Amino acid sequence: MKNALYATGLAVLLALTMSACSKKPAPPATPAVVTVKAVTVGKAIGADKRVTALASSFARTDTIYAAVETDGSGTATLMAKWTYHKGDKVAVVNENSQTLAATGPAVTEFHISKPDGWPTGDYQVEVFLNDAPTGAQKFAVQ
Amino acid sequence: MASDDMPDFSNVKSGASSTATRIYVVVSGDSLSKIAKREYGDANKWKQIFEANRDIIKDPNLIHPGQKLKLPSL
Repeated sequence: MKNALYATGLAVLLALTMSACSKKPAPPATPAVVTVKAVTVGKAIGADKRVTALASSFARTDTIYAAVETDGSGTATLMAKWTYHKGDKVAVVNENSQTLAATGPAVTEFHISKPDGWPTGDYQVEVFLNDAPTGAQKFAVQ
Repeated sequence: MASDDMPDFSNVKSGASSTATRIYVVVSGDSLSKIAKREYGDANKWKQIFEANRDIIKDPNLIHPGQKLKLPSL
């Protein structure tokens, strides 16, 4: 009886060990929180919302795009803050917030245009994730 | 209104879109077609918004301020 119990226990242990060894490694899990991977600026975007024409210099009539690549899942708020810089003075051009229900890698684009043309000078777009700054890109209008 | 010698940016137009589902909070005066026009540039896209929010919208003509709608990536 004692030997039978011992043998049964050993068999169960062996089966569990083999089962554990034969498991395939789990695929990398989507991070539980949303993070910003990159911010790019350009003159056009594609269907995937990524910038297709990177630029740091724009014409006065251009629409200006900022694409924000994120990873992770959950609800998060992205904000793009566009500013104009002249010497030590700064003017806010536009602010736009988007709340996402992300389930993995995503791209969110923000764009601005000005019907009467952009004033020439230096600009910046800064991206905030849940109110925390996560990246900025400088560009110029000539 | 421009301040000091800084340019006037009051007529700047902006927009956004995403490959992820976005969350939109309904404000007073909104309708699904108004939201569709503003967010997708096409008022007829209200049907897609309605379909994405069937769990919380029973009547597409009746949405309430404060409701959080899912805006699908189109």
